[in-house]
Amino acid sequence: MRGLHVYILLAVAAVALACVDQLNSYWMHVAIIAMFYGILAASWSLLAGYAGLFSLGHMAFASVGGYTSALLVKWYGIPIPLGMAAGIAMCCLLGGVVGWVCLRMSGPYLAIFTLGFAEIIRITFSTEDDVTAGMAGLHTEPLFHTVSRLPYFYTSFALLAASLAIMGWIVRSRWGLFLRAIREDEQAAAASGIAVARFRILVFAIASGFAGLAGVFYAHYIPILTPSLGGLDLMAVLVVMTVIGGMERLPTAVGGAFAVEFLLELLREYGQWRLPIFGVILLVTMRFARNGLLTPIWLRFVRLGEPRSAAPPVARDAGQEDSRA
Amino acid sequence: MSGGVELVRAAGLSKHFGGIFANDAVEFTVEEGDLIGLIGPNGSGKTTLINMLTGHLMPDGGEVILRGRRVSGRPAHFFAAMGVARTFQLTQLFGRMTVLENMLVPGLTRPHSHWHAVEKRARDYLEFLNLAQVASLNAKNLSGGQQRLLELGRCLMLDPAVLFLDEPFAGVHPQLRDELLKRIQELHQSGRTFVVVDHDMESILRISRRLVVMARGRKIADGPPDAVRTDQAVLAAYAGL
Repeated sequence: MRGLHVYILLAVAAVALACVDQLNSYWMHVAIIAMFYGILAASWSLLAGYAGLFSLGHMAFASVGGYTSALLVKWYGIPIPLGMAAGIAMCCLLGGVVGWVCLRMSGPYLAIFTLGFAEIIRITFSTEDDVTAGMAGLHTEPLFHTVSRLPYFYTSFALLAASLAIMGWIVRSRWGLFLRAIREDEQAAAASGIAVARFRILVFAIASGFAGLAGVFYAHYIPILTPSLGGLDLMAVLVVMTVIGGMERLPTAVGGAFAVEFLLELLREYGQWRLPIFGVILLVTMRFARNGLLTPIWLRFVRLGEPRSAAPPVARDAGQEDSRA
Repeated sequence: MSGGVELVRAAGLSKHFGGIFANDAVEFTVEEGDLIGLIGPNGSGKTTLINMLTGHLMPDGGEVILRGRRVSGRPAHFFAAMGVARTFQLTQLFGRMTVLENMLVPGLTRPHSHWHAVEKRARDYLEFLNLAQVASLNAKNLSGGQQRLLELGRCLMLDPAVLFLDEPFAGVHPQLRDELLKRIQELHQSGRTFVVVDHDMESILRISRRLVVMARGRKIADGPPDAVRTDQAVLAAYAGL
């Protein structure tokens, strides 16, 4: 039975939605934050995994989106959904500009450039006390006026599902093929007729827009917004999540975000020692499974229900090879 | 010359790197139906010329004329859209994409292309190039000769008016080289225009209808192979005679 994995995922999602009210407030919060990171990991996977643009400015876009929405709502009293839309639009625009400025950069140069961009954003938000309340934190308007986290859970779930549906459509379309071609060889991609510059700008704008989506949700979920949202610490966490899961597939990137977020909470009793543990997991991943720890599991999962002979042997080889590459 | 319609023209193309002229006022025309062998010693400027004629390098002087239109400075994807395809001196494939996906990419960049039609055409070309059995392998796992064939196939998916092949026989096993030659001849007979750069004189002479020779960034000979082979300037440049 082809596509069995889709039905299984839908069934798991349905059970999760039906049983979520059994979770206590703490674990529901963890699940909401995991979904927040899930959107960020998937969009960073689109940028770094599919297009090969290793940006370290992704969390800065989440921060820009969050502050844009929170400030517009606070100062101009516009409805929160409108503020959120404005935050996302701002991130798309800024992402497109950053993508255009660093058109000729790749690898470490792009990483350093986007790191510099992220630090500029973080320091600007930290120092402009009059506007952003600096490190003291900006009090934001909540999306729902209720003490229950349930509406936030459903909202974050819907946002993650919608993000994955849109990004999934992109990566399965010809655009996804073009992005991977650009990642593999920009010169050959251009010789094949791909407008490399246009696609690089486009993917920066789209990925930044999704980072902004995560940011605007976060801003109206957590009542205090601080510049540390766009800091290097959280960017490092995002990279660890995506790389451990598998950065060249959206589901594995999201799986990595969930796994790391839940493990971070489960290991909380170890205090700061849990971070070196993740460092070790990252090192092991890079050494033995560069395409992520979850990728082989995902590849087996998507072949569930297919007759053994129908499983494409080449794809299996390719998956194994990917992890060695 | 074949006497056909002019497709591509290098009008006094110049390019220098530092103080060294890689191309110095090169005049070169490709006409419809040509099968041109572009030869010359190492460093004579052949690849630089191809890079400029395919939009991968901006000329310092002169013009690239494509179907009568000045196109110097346009990006490489514009040249591809105008029907100019190329391979690279060192094979440049999308290594971690399958052979079929490598073929789909150029096909899907064409306006109004439909996935299923492009995939069918890609599979037909893979059959023609004897690559159908490796369609689902990652391109990096192919042998050197198969990679050359795949690069040719990727060019064909653009449905190009002219193909520039940069050293297609380099490092290729003689058996696969013969297959590559056969495919080029078949495609030429079906109406494709080729410019082939290589050091393998035997292969070039087997297929070329016209030879262009470059030395020290200049074109020193252009004509039928028999005439060019006995040209004194060519002999001097090539063998120091």
